[in-house]
Amino acid sequence: MSEVRNPMVVSFAVWKAIFLREALDRLFDMRAAWFWLLAEPVLHIGFLVFIFTVLRMRTVGNADVAVWIIVGMLAFFLFRRTAVQVTYAVDSNQPLFTYRQVKPFDPALARAVLEAFLMAIISTIILSVAALLSHDTWPHDPLLVLSAVFGLWLFGVGYGLVASVLMALVPEMEHILKILMLPLYLISGVIMPLVVIPQPYLDLLMLNPIAHGLELVRAGFFPYYHTVQGLSMEYLYAWAIVSLFLGLMLYRRFALQLVMK
Amino acid sequence: MIVIKDVHKRYRTDHGPGKWVLQGVNLTIPSNVNVGLIGSNGAGKSTLLRIIGGIDHPNKGQVERRCRLSWPMGQGGLEPSLTGRQNAKFVCRVHGHQDDLTDRLAFIQDFSGLKAAFEEPVNTYSSGMRSRLQFAMSLAFDFDIYISDEVTAAGDAAFRDKAAAAFKSMANRAGLIMVAHSDSTLRQFCEAGILLYQGKAQWFDDIEEAFKAYKDTIKK
Repeated sequence: MSEVRNPMVVSFAVWKAIFLREALDRLFDMRAAWFWLLAEPVLHIGFLVFIFTVLRMRTVGNADVAVWIIVGMLAFFLFRRTAVQVTYAVDSNQPLFTYRQVKPFDPALARAVLEAFLMAIISTIILSVAALLSHDTWPHDPLLVLSAVFGLWLFGVGYGLVASVLMALVPEMEHILKILMLPLYLISGVIMPLVVIPQPYLDLLMLNPIAHGLELVRAGFFPYYHTVQGLSMEYLYAWAIVSLFLGLMLYRRFALQLVMK
Repeated sequence: MIVIKDVHKRYRTDHGPGKWVLQGVNLTIPSNVNVGLIGSNGAGKSTLLRIIGGIDHPNKGQVERRCRLSWPMGQGGLEPSLTGRQNAKFVCRVHGHQDDLTDRLAFIQDFSGLKAAFEEPVNTYSSGMRSRLQFAMSLAFDFDIYISDEVTAAGDAAFRDKAAAAFKSMANRAGLIMVAHSDSTLRQFCEAGILLYQGKAQWFDDIEEAFKAYKDTIKK
């Protein structure tokens, strides 16, 4: 009998294996799957930039409208893709739980990290192309951008963990969560500047942590950007950390119900 | 050696908890014996294998695995959209064989006899090909005990002989726990038997006696 592997070594081996498997699936599952990963945000951004610049305006709150849309859209996509990928992490890897080394949390983690990687590459490509088209896409406060983006990613992971447990326990939740995701695009200030919203409603919209995240990322890009009142990094991280811990607790408690059907 | 202590298992159904599948199973399975699980449909054979394999958990009781144990070869364990090679790579990595990946992959491709199909997605495989891949994958690692749920039985006769020969050749270093629907497969592979009946398990040193006891339970 050879020596027993250290649990940490086993975990790392599993994470690496699932990460590579997920990357294969995400990039080469369909014909040119990698192309659509890039094309989806590019088409959204291209369409909106066209509508805004041709029909309406050139600046939003002192910022170049094209970069304003790019940044907001990419940050939103990071959150949404991470959240959706983590939500279905266990479902999509069902056959792999035959190997007892693989725990339900492992594919969730691998998917979250993979999504961060992919979005980093996609964001770099899109921002570089915009820079070549003579938009100023260099953030004036990169640290603020990074911490806001990390907060959004973390919240995406937390949301995905909680959502997948809720869906395993109450199957109807899948419909409710999908309905919730739809207006998120509109109320998070991806395409509509939140500054123009009048007061009693603005406070309601700012209960949404994603709106905070997007505005913070933009504030990090533009030096003289007029942000919404009451913007708070702490609020975003409070949601991120609470959802993450709640998700981890639920995973621990309901690990078996997630894997068993 | 695997020690199973007072294992109880029942599944949740749409109308509350189901009936007990396993009700107080106590067994000690030594490492170098090939043992067949015998019981009627729904007696809990696959359930017990899953619990031994650590991918399902008992409601009560515990399983101690004092050896290196394979995963339960059977349904599942293969990601349909990936090719045979990609699946094999995944399993090698999970089992900590990143360094000698090429050797193990060569062994798996050779033993499974899949040839060019090794590069095709698993969802294009027949059930026999799937079993051969699973079986070859598990033989690529040095386990002390292998768990097989219908896998060895699913291949064609030639492959079954090859598999049986592989197990005979390492009879002194590794054991096998298997479920199979055909008596002849069980006789071909196993010397000892475990009879599952009404949620309890009974050990027989000779598989023929286990069959005899099984016939008696049917008559009742």
